[in-house]
Amino acid sequence: MLNRLRREYREQFVDNNRLERISLLAKVDFSKRYYDNNLGILWALLNPLFRFVVYYFAFTYIFENRIPSFALYLFCGLITWMFFAQGSKKGITILKRKKYLIENIQFNQIDLFIAAILAGLYGYAFNFSAYFVVSMLYGTPIYLTLLWLPVILLNLVVLTMGMSMLLATINIYLRDINHLWDMVVLAGFWLTPIIYDKSITMEVVPILQYINPVAGIVINLRETSLYGNAPYMHLLIYDWAFAIIIYAIGSMAYRKYAHMAVEKL
Amino acid sequence: MKNKSQEILSREVVIKLENISKTFVMSEKSSIRERVFSLFVGHKKRKLHALKNVEMEIRKGEFIGVIGRNGSGKSTLLKIVMGAIPPDKGGKVTTHGRIIRLSLGMGFDPNLSARENIYVNASILGLTFKDINEKFDEIIDFAELHDFIETKVKFFSRGMRSRLGFAIAVHAEADIFLMDEFFGGVGDANFKKKSVKVFQQAFVEGRTIIHVSHQLNTIEKYCDRVLVLHKGEVVALGKPDEVIPIYEEVLGKTQNKKLKKTTT
Repeated sequence: MLNRLRREYREQFVDNNRLERISLLAKVDFSKRYYDNNLGILWALLNPLFRFVVYYFAFTYIFENRIPSFALYLFCGLITWMFFAQGSKKGITILKRKKYLIENIQFNQIDLFIAAILAGLYGYAFNFSAYFVVSMLYGTPIYLTLLWLPVILLNLVVLTMGMSMLLATINIYLRDINHLWDMVVLAGFWLTPIIYDKSITMEVVPILQYINPVAGIVINLRETSLYGNAPYMHLLIYDWAFAIIIYAIGSMAYRKYAHMAVEKL
Repeated sequence: MKNKSQEILSREVVIKLENISKTFVMSEKSSIRERVFSLFVGHKKRKLHALKNVEMEIRKGEFIGVIGRNGSGKSTLLKIVMGAIPPDKGGKVTTHGRIIRLSLGMGFDPNLSARENIYVNASILGLTFKDINEKFDEIIDFAELHDFIETKVKFFSRGMRSRLGFAIAVHAEADIFLMDEFFGGVGDANFKKKSVKVFQQAFVEGRTIIHVSHQLNTIEKYCDRVLVLHKGEVVALGKPDEVIPIYEEVLGKTQNKKLKKTTT
């Protein structure tokens, strides 16, 4: 069984240039966004930082909150949400943007999605390490529960990947999804405990965290990295299940309808 | 010449088209009121039959010409062979080898430099970075773009772009070239010489080429077989000297019709 998996993996990734290709596409994708700007790659940090400052002031001085170390709390939630929002948003238009490749060369187009997620991960990793450094400066110890991080982050990646495939497929037939998704992202931002306390989604309106899987991911990220608690198991399991289902639907829909992309877009 | 056509028959089939038809369904632009209304009733749609029952087998190393008037389905045929668009139900396309489609203004991200575009395209064609590093200088030499390696492709002229595309396709050793009116008057004499060389060696190197063009002299000179399309249907398929007169007849007929229409 294990041998078969290993062989499969080799055929898929090692015995060809697929890994190289994905990393190249990701690199190009990542750097292109900041190419023409004078500040270049700094924007990857400046954009969330600026949002952070705005929300921080608004929710410290205009609306008060009683969340301890609010800055870290906010930043962790914000960058995680932005990774999901931007990743899924980019997924919608990816086939159109890469039409020039799809139209002219035969290749496995899933690579485009993997590369886009990878490019988003570069920025997220950048921000996440900033969060980590600052949290250490604040005096947060290095908890053993950090070992949960890969499990939670992978959950986020699977969810974002599945979502972008699903949205890309929908966009082939329903161009309105672009605008619709903007609204979903806006609503999702406020339905995720980013700027308010997690008790609101966990106790006051618990259904929120089941509608929106990112809520649970954000909560568990904070529990493990900021407070040293084990993740909430029911959220972890629910969010994984949610992510896997979205991924399954997304990749199935994509496989079935992606061949219409060039004709329709 | 006879040898060549006999040898072709012994080679493997690399492109097989079975019962290929293509119908495009186009929804018409409509007002907001109609759009909201159509949510419930469905769009107003128009059908266009771009291809009808095309059957063809192409063997390794063949140089196939495709001619026909505008809108006869030539480009659609190439896109279907590419796999970029699917044929109607019942049709089947089988291909062997790496395919690249070359058309004017194609295949590049305008915001990336020539270097980056070479890497992206070649990598997608299946080359490793090591291979690309080795071939990079040859590609630049062939495309004659020494001074523009780091220039963004959006500043390139049509000629420069097509030179770059052709250079990549040749050096990345794509097995099947689909050329969509690719040399529509671009390229100076020097570059033309190089591309002619590629065409002449194609057979020896087992490179299959489908060339859509309006330039009958190129078609006549290099093609082993020529496909004539008219309104999506295959009118003729055969040796250039046999088929080109048929094409000219088709061309003449439609032009005569047009003339009659304008006179009446």
